Amino acid sequence: MEKYWNKEIECASREDMKKLQDERLVAQVRHVYENVKYYRDLMDEKGVKPEDIKGTEDLHKLPFLSKADLREAYPYGLLAKPLGECVRIHSTSGTTGKRVVAFYTQKDVDMWEDCCARAITAAGGDENDVCQVAYGYGLFTGGAGLHGGSHKVGCLTLPMSSGNTERQIQFMRDLGATILCCTPSYAAYIGETLQEMGLTPDDIKLKAGIFGAEPWTEEMRRTIEKSLGIKAYDIYGLTESSGPGVAFECSEQSGMHINEDNFIPEIIDPETGEVLPEGQVGELVFTSITKEAFPLLRYRTRDLCVLSRKKCSCGRTLIKMAKPMGRSDDMMIIRGVNVFPSQIETVLIEQGYSPNYLIEVDRVNNTDTLDISVEMNPDQFSDKVKDMQKQERDLAVAIKTMLGINPKVHLVSPKSITRSEGKAVRVIDKRKLHD
Amino acid sequence: MSNVKQISVFVDNRPNQAAGVMRIIKESGVNLRALSLADTADFGIIRFIANDTEKAVEILREASYAVNVTEVLAISIPDTPGQLSRVLDVLGQDNVNVEYMYSFLGTSDRAVSFVIRVDDNALASEALNRGGIIQLTENDIAEM
Repeated sequence: MEKYWNKEIECASREDMKKLQDERLVAQVRHVYENVKYYRDLMDEKGVKPEDIKGTEDLHKLPFLSKADLREAYPYGLLAKPLGECVRIHSTSGTTGKRVVAFYTQKDVDMWEDCCARAITAAGGDENDVCQVAYGYGLFTGGAGLHGGSHKVGCLTLPMSSGNTERQIQFMRDLGATILCCTPSYAAYIGETLQEMGLTPDDIKLKAGIFGAEPWTEEMRRTIEKSLGIKAYDIYGLTESSGPGVAFECSEQSGMHINEDNFIPEIIDPETGEVLPEGQVGELVFTSITKEAFPLLRYRTRDLCVLSRKKCSCGRTLIKMAKPMGRSDDMMIIRGVNVFPSQIETVLIEQGYSPNYLIEVDRVNNTDTLDISVEMNPDQFSDKVKDMQKQERDLAVAIKTMLGINPKVHLVSPKSITRSEGKAVRVIDKRKLHD
Repeated sequence: MSNVKQISVFVDNRPNQAAGVMRIIKESGVNLRALSLADTADFGIIRFIANDTEKAVEILREASYAVNVTEVLAISIPDTPGQLSRVLDVLGQDNVNVEYMYSFLGTSDRAVSFVIRVDDNALASEALNRGGIIQLTENDIAEM
């Protein structure tokens, strides 16, 4: 039996949802126009007034916001409420540049936690569950979001934060954790560590995992599910919109339902900014229609994905987004070809390698080079050099088939690539150092 | 047939990697009888014969190394010119392919010993027998 946190919203008819979105959007545009000078200037520049926006069909008239705008308006330029009404901030990791800081009123925190509660419920969680939150706590939204959602659902919440993996496993066993929330790469690492400690999924009580905050593949999902004996659910979010819980997966595991009573999605052509019809791949754009303190309208996520209103077997009517094919930040252009780390990861798992790898891109004599270090598979280790070199060549051929460009594959020792307890660093682009 | 067990260890081609393996073996008190290191641009394969194979494998696996055990042949031949050539002729006549070979570390004044990795141990062993070439057993090696 599918369980819902808020059935009325999650299974609302299209008409009811649109009506709610229209009302909220109209009010939100007015709120932003009146309180955020930065966005008011953008609207004035485009000649759009709040009264031009009568419903979601007028959404395309509004100007976009991008990460560059957030950096320019840092720190208070997009704040829409007096500081006296704000209760918290969270911040992005800042790996791709200046940090982005997002603000929350108490109502914003409640809305966000409610979204996370929907995700936990969709993963089968209720008040009888023990929920181990192994996302990082602090400025990062992962820990706080799932922690709050877990509280709302009434789970016994284990605020572990990330790291100290043996202790994670000890608590998991001693307290009988049933749900694990963390990044997929950390979940894979916990699975590996469990095995190293001589334990099997039968030694733990986990039944579900809610994993997000970084791209992961279907193959990685299967690896994690097997190593922990669970069903693994994807969750999507971004600090700019609130955090994890903007969209979440249900039992069908075929894309994530967007909490569209709070976030209206659009797919646009990343080049022209034009809205694309449902089913086409493009850049995902979100409009927050309930956030008070940091209400971003038409925020460009840089995630490339597809939306679908196909009927879902779980009964939810919320629109679904496919797993993003990668952030445009992650996309590398190598010899003119678009390459996502997730494509390489797919090949590795298919060929029986662990999803721990390091991609190094460089430019030698004006030609891009692609070097991939992969942990060798101890089960396929041979004493003959020619066998091992054949493994390198076979893997290079499989990757070439996927990407269309020739990589150099380097087999390295098992466990020699640094494991991540938060977001994994998979790519080193040395070309940027030369520019 | 008297095959002996060879241990192979995968190491990265970076400073200190072989040293790491040897440090672990030193701590375990296992003694090495023969050793070779094959190298490629990315990695190396250390192959060796130990006086206690089981223990060496166990401690290396515990330290997360990729380890495998293969059966190889070990021979002892007189330390005079032309002896190795004779061995290879014997194997060649029976169409045995030699993948690689390396010599034992310390042997007597009158004889030298070799590890030979071939594509077909049974065929090679038979050829060596017929050629009157002494093959070492695990016991022989343990007593070396």
